[in-house]
Amino acid sequence: MAKHKTPLLDQLESGPWPSFVSDIKQEAASRAKNEKGVQYQVAVDCPEDLLGVLEMSYTDGETHWKHGGIVGVFGYGGGVIGRYCDQPQMFPGVAHFHTVRVAQPMGMWYSTEFLRGIMDIWDLRGSGLTNMHGATGDIVLLGTSTPQLEEIFWELTHNMNVDLGGSGSNLRTPASCMGMSRCQYACYDAQELCYNLTQEYQDELHRPAFPYKFKFKFDGCPNGCVAAIARSDLGFLGTFKGPIKINQEAVAAYVGGEIAPNAGAHAGRDWGKFDIQKEVVDLCPSKCISYEGGKLVMDHKECVRCMHCINTMPQALRIGDERGVSIFCGAKAPILDGPQMGSLLVPFIEVNKDDDYQAIKDVVESVWDWWMEEGKNRERIGETMKRLGFAALADAAGIAADPRHVQEPRHNPYIFWKAEDVEGGWDRDLAEFRKRHQR
Amino acid sequence: MALDPESAKAEIIKFCEEKSASKSKFYFNDFTKLFPDEKTRDVKKLLTQLVQEEKMVFWSSGSTTMYGLTGAGKQAHSEGED
Amino acid sequence: MAFISSGYNPDKPMENRISDIGPRHFGEFLPPVIAKNFGKWDYHEILEPGVLCHTGLSGDKAYTVRCGSARLISVTHVREICEIADKFAGGFLRFTTRNNIEFIVEDKKAALDLKAFLNSQKFPGGSMKFPVGGTGAGVTNIVHTQGWVHCHTPATDASGTVKATMDAVFDDFANMKLPAPVRISMACCLNMCGAVHCSDIAILGIHRKPPLIDHEYLDNLCEIPLAVAACPTGAVRPSKVELNGKTYKTVAIKEERCMFCGNCYTMCPSLPLSDGEGDGIALMVGGKISNRVTKPAFSKVVVPYIPNEPPRWPTMTKVIKKILDTYAADAHKYERLGDWANRIGWERFFEKCELEFSAHLIDDFRDPAYYTWRQTTQFKW
Repeated sequence: MAKHKTPLLDQLESGPWPSFVSDIKQEAASRAKNEKGVQYQVAVDCPEDLLGVLEMSYTDGETHWKHGGIVGVFGYGGGVIGRYCDQPQMFPGVAHFHTVRVAQPMGMWYSTEFLRGIMDIWDLRGSGLTNMHGATGDIVLLGTSTPQLEEIFWELTHNMNVDLGGSGSNLRTPASCMGMSRCQYACYDAQELCYNLTQEYQDELHRPAFPYKFKFKFDGCPNGCVAAIARSDLGFLGTFKGPIKINQEAVAAYVGGEIAPNAGAHAGRDWGKFDIQKEVVDLCPSKCISYEGGKLVMDHKECVRCMHCINTMPQALRIGDERGVSIFCGAKAPILDGPQMGSLLVPFIEVNKDDDYQAIKDVVESVWDWWMEEGKNRERIGETMKRLGFAALADAAGIAADPRHVQEPRHNPYIFWKAEDVEGGWDRDLAEFRKRHQR
Repeated sequence: MALDPESAKAEIIKFCEEKSASKSKFYFNDFTKLFPDEKTRDVKKLLTQLVQEEKMVFWSSGSTTMYGLTGAGKQAHSEGED
Repeated sequence: MAFISSGYNPDKPMENRISDIGPRHFGEFLPPVIAKNFGKWDYHEILEPGVLCHTGLSGDKAYTVRCGSARLISVTHVREICEIADKFAGGFLRFTTRNNIEFIVEDKKAALDLKAFLNSQKFPGGSMKFPVGGTGAGVTNIVHTQGWVHCHTPATDASGTVKATMDAVFDDFANMKLPAPVRISMACCLNMCGAVHCSDIAILGIHRKPPLIDHEYLDNLCEIPLAVAACPTGAVRPSKVELNGKTYKTVAIKEERCMFCGNCYTMCPSLPLSDGEGDGIALMVGGKISNRVTKPAFSKVVVPYIPNEPPRWPTMTKVIKKILDTYAADAHKYERLGDWANRIGWERFFEKCELEFSAHLIDDFRDPAYYTWRQTTQFKW
């Protein structure tokens, strides 16, 4: 028997897509039964109360949660988000309902042993409800009480050998695509670089001292599966300098219809016979491909590595050698001044594990030093860049200006020349001037 | 750092106490301004020590984090966490 | 229930404390075929919706079965996923960045058997537990935020709008018949912790009324300088009011400057923003992240407001379906939704999708607005 009537939420149990309502009910029933005899450390019926308070929101169209800023684990400034219900008498099970963010493994691969271990902690000490995963990438454990926070942290670190993720004005939990683990497009080991920098910057992750949040994301190639160019303050996108490798026999197999184009991604509709001219050559953004006499010809120097030809004929074309990353800076969601994509800061940098990625860390740290010095409170680095100019950032990061930095040169001639840019400097002799010009 | 850590920490506490009539939470760069000649990393080390000594705590809006004296301010009481 | 200690001693928080250890190394969690062929993959194929085959330079093949999830999932559900992984996939699994779940199996038959098994699993209420799909030129799972389930500034629910939308477009999750992938994202307020600003279709919760001010309690519950500093547009200032002969320290809000973000409420619980009549949904379209053919692009607002209609948001899902179906019928192969709209022109996009254009859709927020106005004689009748 359900604790609260939920006629509106019940309507979300039908339809094909997995119903979160059915799942929460399933958890509520499992806790009520408690077949394993778990000594639940927070209210057994908190999933029921969550459904109750959610039904109330579905009825009145308003949220019933308040933010809390104090709760956390000792010595960390992030990783826990405080939440309180604004109807605690009606829904005591969720009166205190804090979120715990747990650092996810890169590429989000799991063994069932590890995942079960996390679930056992959350069964005992939390609501039994999770998000797999949060928007930034963390494992999100949804809803527990204040006294459980240190206990959860202790068990995560001591028993599961895993740490909390980030929140607040710190380095947020970095995320990578699955990279080399299962993708032939990965231009570098995105997971390893992500893991290495995450470990290097644990202090920045747990003890906030930045003007605002700061995100790292690592995409293995320009396809951008973790959205590094759109969602990270420093985005690392794999790239390459060498020519795309062509297997002409496989090209012929695509043209002949023996291999489905685009890895079979369009198989659900009859798009007609594969037309290499229309589907590959004509769509190339830099028009560097031609198909002549049964051969695919590429002017590699003009390629901009958009990945379309490779994506369309993965068995015929492969990424080139001389691989590395491009680093983009300053992406963010619209608040406040509008959305920003990451701007290209470093066109190419080697990903060198042998020296512990020192060249990349030098860029990261000089960018941080500049932002911590110049950034205003609650200002993302993308906004600091806009306020002070891209050149100021590039200069701080020690990166020489390059035409690749811009879509096109500036539209106005208001160049802020400095004295040292100009012959003779700015110290001028008025007496000498007056010899040439009367008052 | 050029400063003596203990006297620098005392200065941080004094700064927070003096402002406590109007506010109890401070941005990180409020503290870096107290020590204009020091590196931000060194100022952060002092704050980390103060947190570990249980003299200061973090406060987080979820997106922004601030520092305050342990137990100070109205939020602890209003959240029932005092 | 009796309190069970983990070993933590509250009197000595630093005693035996472990901190700063970060995530587990991913290398511990790779299925054997993945570990063996790490960095040595040759190509991949999508064998059918939700089933992928990756071939290594070694000739090894890894078969992946992908299924959807609600993202908000229970311990019971995760344990069920673990049982499936143990039974079919050697005790390993993976989550995608869009909340799908992937199992790696050794051959095509095992993949198809697993697909059939996953598609047969249902909740008692009738919905599927593990619908297989989300690959290729279709709609994949929606990335989303917390909404009314757990957030203090949402203008709508996230899980409910996502469930309603995925039910409406489910056919395109389970199939691959669109011109290109369509990425739908959902964020429950304009702070966008879901970062929906580069999605083919974005569902965005919006508030339309400035915060209420609880003058009597404000000074007890929050610190006025922080509430003032929290406002991105400088609309909040310290003030005093007289109520029943008593003077209260409080704030005043310049309402015409309010951008309805809720940042002041985060700092000050006496400034609630939520309002049943005011809140609802905006739809944005035409963003993308990949660099394929065209550059990454931002989503554009095409519907300024749809009221909240829980539990199933029928107006919203109808508009989304109309946009999706119009795109599917009209776009070229490989053309993303935004590339299609750019090609036909946004004036034609509104016409074809039968959407009303209003002044609310013309940008008036600061400098970037200018770059969205038209400065050419080229447009369509």
